[in-house]
Amino acid sequence: MIRTLLWVIGKRLAAIVPVFAIVSMLVFAALRVLPVDPAQMSLPPSATIEQVEAKREEMGLTKPIWEQYAIWVRSAAQGDFGESAQYRMPTTRLVLDRLPATIELATCALLVAVTFGIMAGLLIFSLRGTIFETIGMVITSAIMALPDFLLALLFILLFGVLIPIFPVNGRLDPEFSVPLRTGFLLFDSVLAGEPRALLNALSHMALPTLALGLAFSPTIVRVLHSSLVSTYQQSYIRQARLRGLSDRSILFGQALKNAILPVVVLVGTQFGGLFGGTLLVELIFSYPGMGNLMLKAMQTVDLNVIMAVALIYCGTTLLFTSLADAGAYLLNPRLRA
Amino acid sequence: MKRFARLADLRFLLSAAVVVTIVLVAILAPHIVPYEPNDQDLLNILMPPVFAGGSPEHLLGTDSLGRDTLSRLIYGARTAMTVAIFASTGAMLVGSFLANIAGYFGGRIDWAISRMVEIWLSFPPVVLSMLLIVGLGIGTDKVILAIILVDWTRFCRVLRTEVLVARRQDYVSFALLAGFSNSRVILKEVLPGIFPMLVTLFSLQMGISIVVEAILSFVSMGVPSDVPAWGQMIADARIDIYSAPWGVALPILTIFVAVLSFNVLGDSLNRVLDPRSKIAHSS
Repeated sequence: MIRTLLWVIGKRLAAIVPVFAIVSMLVFAALRVLPVDPAQMSLPPSATIEQVEAKREEMGLTKPIWEQYAIWVRSAAQGDFGESAQYRMPTTRLVLDRLPATIELATCALLVAVTFGIMAGLLIFSLRGTIFETIGMVITSAIMALPDFLLALLFILLFGVLIPIFPVNGRLDPEFSVPLRTGFLLFDSVLAGEPRALLNALSHMALPTLALGLAFSPTIVRVLHSSLVSTYQQSYIRQARLRGLSDRSILFGQALKNAILPVVVLVGTQFGGLFGGTLLVELIFSYPGMGNLMLKAMQTVDLNVIMAVALIYCGTTLLFTSLADAGAYLLNPRLRA
Repeated sequence: MKRFARLADLRFLLSAAVVVTIVLVAILAPHIVPYEPNDQDLLNILMPPVFAGGSPEHLLGTDSLGRDTLSRLIYGARTAMTVAIFASTGAMLVGSFLANIAGYFGGRIDWAISRMVEIWLSFPPVVLSMLLIVGLGIGTDKVILAIILVDWTRFCRVLRTEVLVARRQDYVSFALLAGFSNSRVILKEVLPGIFPMLVTLFSLQMGISIVVEAILSFVSMGVPSDVPAWGQMIADARIDIYSAPWGVALPILTIFVAVLSFNVLGDSLNRVLDPRSKIAHSS
């Protein structure tokens, strides 16, 4: 059993390696084509032409592009992604400082999206045939027309300005300070034994998480709903009903197991949307994560940072998609056989 | 079921009406705006809309430079529609071209195109479109190009499956046996079969393009700053969100209505055009 599990997951992880390699080549090539000179950017503006030339030589920019890529891969494998031209510090440290905040945000948002999506999907489905089903679907398509960054701004308007009950800036109020051990604020405040800091961090996360999660949930609602509808047309459900099982045990005991499969696949394929959405939500809530770092880097054309962060976004998306794919495979008895 | 049918018709009519209105407003923008969208009236800055205590001179109020919100929304529609129509058409052409080739010829071509889609999908769309703008630079045409380059995969993925299904139909085999050329078979036999899906996807893509344009101009990586755009209006008004919340609320509402009507229109077109779903709903 465990061997099959590892085999299925391992096969999918192996499949993303070539894709990831090509992605890294594409991004690398695209960034080298840009009309900016990394050597000039890594030196102070007062540098002479000779100094810039020397730096170009030193950074290997005079070599052909595949050699440059090979050099980049070699140092990246050792954890060195070059220096940020804007912050004048190693890209690796910059990214690692901000990565936990984004992971925390994305994970919580995903939890909200899945919980909310599945609950709303089940609720709307159990109200089928009534006027509430129509109302539920109308609300779902309304939320669908509100992408994450609009929902974030709307929440700021509603819960930050009109009824100010949630903070709309950063991760923590300045009067709290939690020693950073993992970088994940929720863990760190628990580790430090500061319940008030934990509450404060949670209240800071409430609006960004809700905005991202809620924006992602309508697709889950729709897919779960239509998948339940088609599952209920199958004969084993009719049989279960004839055997006298209650509605509740048919839904949770029999139907949901099969109907949840398309949802797993959907969450996997659409994860990139949610993960990319953190970028805008971080900007709107001044959340000190990878998205804000990326936006800054793109505005100042900080090539090393753009490269590293873009690869993290792509790598995470690929990883998540293939894990969800493996999950769907393992959940589906027909594919497993 | 009859009541359901009427509700679906109502949805179709309403969304189509809103879409037509937005397109008309976008076309007629120069003739119907009360003010030039970039004219500043520094004596009347941050005015609320007329229903929130503003003056009837500026029906929907003004922004921090005294520019008329209604005029900017109308010109924003022009920007949004230009981008959405060109970008969606481009994405549809590129995506369905590759989908037809992949699904029709199969084999190595199909493999190559499918791998390409896979690589594209590993980028979160927002990240990819911003990376493209970093490379391409700012401008309306660049935004259109970026959206085409990001969103062709949506058409390609869905239509490829449709083409694969259509390819196995007897009438396509007969056409091939009758000696018609590949391009003729694709255009005359395969394409009509996937047409309903194409129209639906196009309508949904219009909504997505509007959102992407708003996102890009919100982070000032979209259209030039002298071109009024909805996203840019939100970004400008965000600083004064406490003193003038309407400045943020109105563009959000506009984007919401526009995207919602394109989504609903797409859904109802799917229901009307697709013979399979019609059978499913009338039974």
